[in-house]
Amino acid sequence: MELKDEIRINAPRAQVYAALNDPDILRQSIPGCESLQKNSDTEFEATVTSKVGPLTAKLKGAVTLSDLDPPAGYTLAGEGKGGPAGFAKVKARVALADEGAATLLRYEVKAEVGGKLGQLGGAIIDRTARKLAGEFFQQFESLVSVPVPAEEAAGAAAAMPARAASAVSTAAVWYFIAAIALALAAWILLT
Amino acid sequence: MDITVQDSKRWMGARLERKEDLRLVSGQGKYLADLVLPGMLHAVFVRSEYAHARITGIDASAARALPGVVDVITGEEIRAHVKSMRQPVLLPNLPAKYPDYHALAVDKVKFHGDPVAVVIARDKYLAEDAAELVVVDYEELPVVVDAEQALAPGATKVHDAEADNEMFAMSFTGGATPEEQAQNGSEVQRIFDTAEIVVSNRFRVHRTGITPMEPRGVLCDWSLADGLTAWITTQRPHIDRLALIDILDIPGERVRVIAPRDQGGGFGVKAPFYRENVVIAYAARKLGRPVRWIESRYEGLMNVGQERDQINDLEVAATRDGKLLALRNRGIANNGTGQTGVYWGFVMPFLGQVELPNAYTWEKGDIKLRVATTNKACLTPSRAFGHFPTRFALERSIDMVARRCGLEPAEVRRRNMVPKLPYTTITGEYYDSGDFLKVWDNLMRQVDLPAFRREQAAARAQGRYLGIGFSCGVELSGVASELLVPMENQPGYGAATVRVDPRGKVLIFGGDAPGGQGHETTVAQVVASIFGIDPADTLVTTGDTGSTPFGAGTIGARAGSYFVSAVHKACAELKEKITHVLAHDLGVRATAEEFAFSNGEVIYLRDPSRRKTFREIVERIIMFPVNLPEGEVGGLESTAFFEAAKPMICFNADFCIVEVKPATGEFTIKRWATSEDVGNVINQNIVDGQMHGAIVQGLSNAIFEEFIYTDEGQQLTADFEHYKMATAADVPDIELSYASTPCPHTPLGTRGIGEGRPSSVPGALCNAICDALSPFGIEITELPLRPSALWTKIRDARATQR
Repeated sequence: MELKDEIRINAPRAQVYAALNDPDILRQSIPGCESLQKNSDTEFEATVTSKVGPLTAKLKGAVTLSDLDPPAGYTLAGEGKGGPAGFAKVKARVALADEGAATLLRYEVKAEVGGKLGQLGGAIIDRTARKLAGEFFQQFESLVSVPVPAEEAAGAAAAMPARAASAVSTAAVWYFIAAIALALAAWILLT
Repeated sequence: MDITVQDSKRWMGARLERKEDLRLVSGQGKYLADLVLPGMLHAVFVRSEYAHARITGIDASAARALPGVVDVITGEEIRAHVKSMRQPVLLPNLPAKYPDYHALAVDKVKFHGDPVAVVIARDKYLAEDAAELVVVDYEELPVVVDAEQALAPGATKVHDAEADNEMFAMSFTGGATPEEQAQNGSEVQRIFDTAEIVVSNRFRVHRTGITPMEPRGVLCDWSLADGLTAWITTQRPHIDRLALIDILDIPGERVRVIAPRDQGGGFGVKAPFYRENVVIAYAARKLGRPVRWIESRYEGLMNVGQERDQINDLEVAATRDGKLLALRNRGIANNGTGQTGVYWGFVMPFLGQVELPNAYTWEKGDIKLRVATTNKACLTPSRAFGHFPTRFALERSIDMVARRCGLEPAEVRRRNMVPKLPYTTITGEYYDSGDFLKVWDNLMRQVDLPAFRREQAAARAQGRYLGIGFSCGVELSGVASELLVPMENQPGYGAATVRVDPRGKVLIFGGDAPGGQGHETTVAQVVASIFGIDPADTLVTTGDTGSTPFGAGTIGARAGSYFVSAVHKACAELKEKITHVLAHDLGVRATAEEFAFSNGEVIYLRDPSRRKTFREIVERIIMFPVNLPEGEVGGLESTAFFEAAKPMICFNADFCIVEVKPATGEFTIKRWATSEDVGNVINQNIVDGQMHGAIVQGLSNAIFEEFIYTDEGQQLTADFEHYKMATAADVPDIELSYASTPCPHTPLGTRGIGEGRPSSVPGALCNAICDALSPFGIEITELPLRPSALWTKIRDARATQR
């Protein structure tokens, strides 16, 4: 049970990778993301609240990164628990490639959604996941590609390498857990 | 006078409108959810979202902190204060490994939906909100959902205390010892070795069952004076009472169970004793306040109504001229956790194998069953108890034999039908009475088979695919103690108290607890016909252990056989007394037979001018018990128990005609016709309704309904969007016909009907579809029957043919 897709981000690869590792950008991009916390270079915790159909799911979860290959990509494994609302388990491979001045982000996800979330069924989950994905990339791209005022840009540029050197933030994961996993579940249920 | 006497009998067999229906259709039914007690609290269960996980902690502090939350009870508390669910009253006398378990999960959860805790709050909404605040920490464990994988060596164990997941295994043929069984097995093998035709298939039937309109519910009240009063949606209040006494350790005189008069269906789902009953009773006792739990549809679909789920590797040996010789079956049932009182899930597949031989004669059989525990919800009884899958397998196999012989499947059935009853099958099942061939021949009169074959050929020439399919079913019509004691550790007798009122009315109290079968009407007709009064002048009370005689419950089509017979027996005793006193009053020497009860009067037949109204004579006996015959005392009330020496049966046969569209795999049922032996009929409407409902259920199970679990044990079908049931638009008109033989073992010649009836449906349906698609050589061996699956088979067959 896999989901594959690719998104073109209007920014250079290094910038996209850095942004994918920037907890602030990710926190702002992930719909409903309430917190992101880094426990070690490869371990993170996050909290995301999503309204899926009749359910409001507050997922708390942990994510582990592996196969780090900056700026080409990484593998992540995550598990989020939402108590009675259910849980999501995700394994994803994210790869970045140059496409002219822009970047092509490819992802492959395997996911399992359980509990009530998993039982909502195709139509609701699919619709929600698409909506969340749309919101994420719209926000992410606006934060990554829009020119920023000079002072902030300088500050961001100074901060970025340090962040990039650390591992990739969980937030990316959280997007995948909350959204792509749901899409997958929908997809699985429908097929 | 003859006319009046005949009038008294007119209630038997009449299409009387149901006494229940006015209140039900006018919104005045009183269901469990209509019961409200002062100060009543509401319970909501916290259930596991994992199929198999260790509980490492439960934090209920946030839930407890919510204003209005009264208590949160966990499995550990239940374990400390209440006995486990494995009590003798709930254990069948069958050699199974009965898992010990508590009313709430302790240590680990074993299926998606396992109850972990219960929140008790001032209102239900609050309890729902609080339940979401209970944080349960789980450590996930490997999950086993497939029955064969569960039985494999080294499989993940569902119950840690057991050696493996094989909960039950049994051989149904060849004797009691392994040596005898081995001998039988080799004899069967010899038949197969030399048989001209052998048909071998693996049949799979999915997990499906029944979803009563009204889900389960429990309301418990505890008081110092009266102890525990429990209203439970149940088919067997007297058994539930015993279970509550034993598990909660309450003196028996202080426990009363009441099944509400109106219940929105049971169909088997409300026959087991459930964990929720114990939890709510415990909470009510602990808190000293009434506590009510009403199951949501979500919980219902997660926990109950799941049955079938069997694999049957069935082989049939036959001669070239269609004589059936032997059958061999290896059944595997996927039992889920096996945690349900009375049935433990495996009793259904057990009976499914017992009923495998159906209406046919077999020289020999070799039938074995293995039942696996898995991380699914426990199987719960569902109308067509256990044998929906085995009958599907057998009826499909008969058609395959017929095709190999080049014979009409209908003809093969008739040639092999048990010609004369009583008869004992190769599995030891006793068929008491009836006439299978009469029923079958009546069915065949409903269709001109040669004409259909011509129509079929003509249609095929036009590229249309018509098919006809047959099946039949021997069904239990009330289970005698002889079978019910070993199978469920319960008595089979029917019980009724009949109390005549001084105003000429008759009150009937029954130990069963109906869920819409129309007991009030049926029993009223019986009593009215016996006493010559109007059915309106009767009142039937069921379900209250405080006022009704002990009975095993409304299960296995017992109303028309056992309950009604007990009522008849009690009435006959009262009739004897009434006529005895009346003869004395009239100054005649006369037996009961010399009086007619008709049109509200009791008439001395030798001199019909000498009569009294029913009210006069009963009032005289109850209220003015002076100048009675010697030895007689006043009062008119009688309790009677009816038991049959052996189980009784009813029988049916079906055919259907379908048209299949090979381009899409879609099919249309063009006709569904039946022939039934229901014994003597009390109310034709009710009998017809049982048949309609049963056939619709059979179709819905076969075509639409399916409980789906992922490999991780996630149950995905917890609402009616995903658990699709047939609607009126999905089912055909049903043409019922009757070829009944009165049952010689019941006083009224009646049979219990309707319980096993769905089981012959998938066979007839799939046989018709395979007949339609015979040019493609397609054989259906799996349910559900989805057009998509059919289309795939047609496509594959076409690819092979090219």
